Amino acid sequence: MSSVEIEAKTKQEAIEKACKHFNLTEEELDIEALGVISTGIFGLVGSKKVKIRVTPKKDNSVEVAQEILKKIVSLISADTKISAEKKGDDIILNIDGNNPGILIGHKGKTLEALEFIINKAVNKVFEKKVRVIVDSENYRQRSEESLRRLALKMGEKAKKTKKTVTIDPISPHDRRIVHLALKGDHYVQTKSEGEGLFKKVYIVPNKNED
Amino acid sequence: MKELIEYIAKLLVDNPEEVSVTEIEGEQTSVIELRVAKEDLGKVIGKQGRTARAMRTILSAASAKMRKRSVLEILE
Repeated sequence: MSSVEIEAKTKQEAIEKACKHFNLTEEELDIEALGVISTGIFGLVGSKKVKIRVTPKKDNSVEVAQEILKKIVSLISADTKISAEKKGDDIILNIDGNNPGILIGHKGKTLEALEFIINKAVNKVFEKKVRVIVDSENYRQRSEESLRRLALKMGEKAKKTKKTVTIDPISPHDRRIVHLALKGDHYVQTKSEGEGLFKKVYIVPNKNED
Repeated sequence: MKELIEYIAKLLVDNPEEVSVTEIEGEQTSVIELRVAKEDLGKVIGKQGRTARAMRTILSAASAKMRKRSVLEILE
């Protein structure tokens, strides 16, 4: 587990800060005193500070992530429940509520924004990288399936017309799905082109096929 | 609306005490002004404005629920 170094005027203050940082109580933390540092010249001017190193005794990254998302979502729409699950190193958070449409947004935009913010916030608390995935009503799985279907359909079109088919700019994650869907197809090739995060995907039919 | 931005901003910055949010309410549109410490400015804006964009997306989802519009301004 990751540890954090904290400075404060008194030891008690430093411990309080640490508890807030990890959202844990004092008993759930390993606290190691690193000594007193003075910020002034020769210890004459300036203030003294106590430095401690804090390590959580247990991994509470799932609870922290869940708590953050719960708070954000509750400020957007009431009556929502967040369930959390740990899959390997990833944390999967699922939003359940009576109005999921608003939290998913157009083409999953809001869901993506929530995921981005949560990832930033959680990785700020823990030094070790954790990945948080935010989902609602199986939206991720559903969109992945529909994208794969689209990719296969466009692949067929490219083969039939023997012309390059273009898919509108999509995110790196979505692009990967398209590439993988058509990887096994030897009659077409996929290429990404464009600037920035969102690139177009070209599906190119192979020329020397009968 | 104000609390939402304040909470998110405090998660992202190093100096949460210096986060201040003011809301100027209009009839249909409200403007939310976010001020953070100078060294935290980059944290709330993000690489190519990605964090700012994410905050705006979440904000518009929240305002859509209340049938309003909100604009997020990050002030230097």
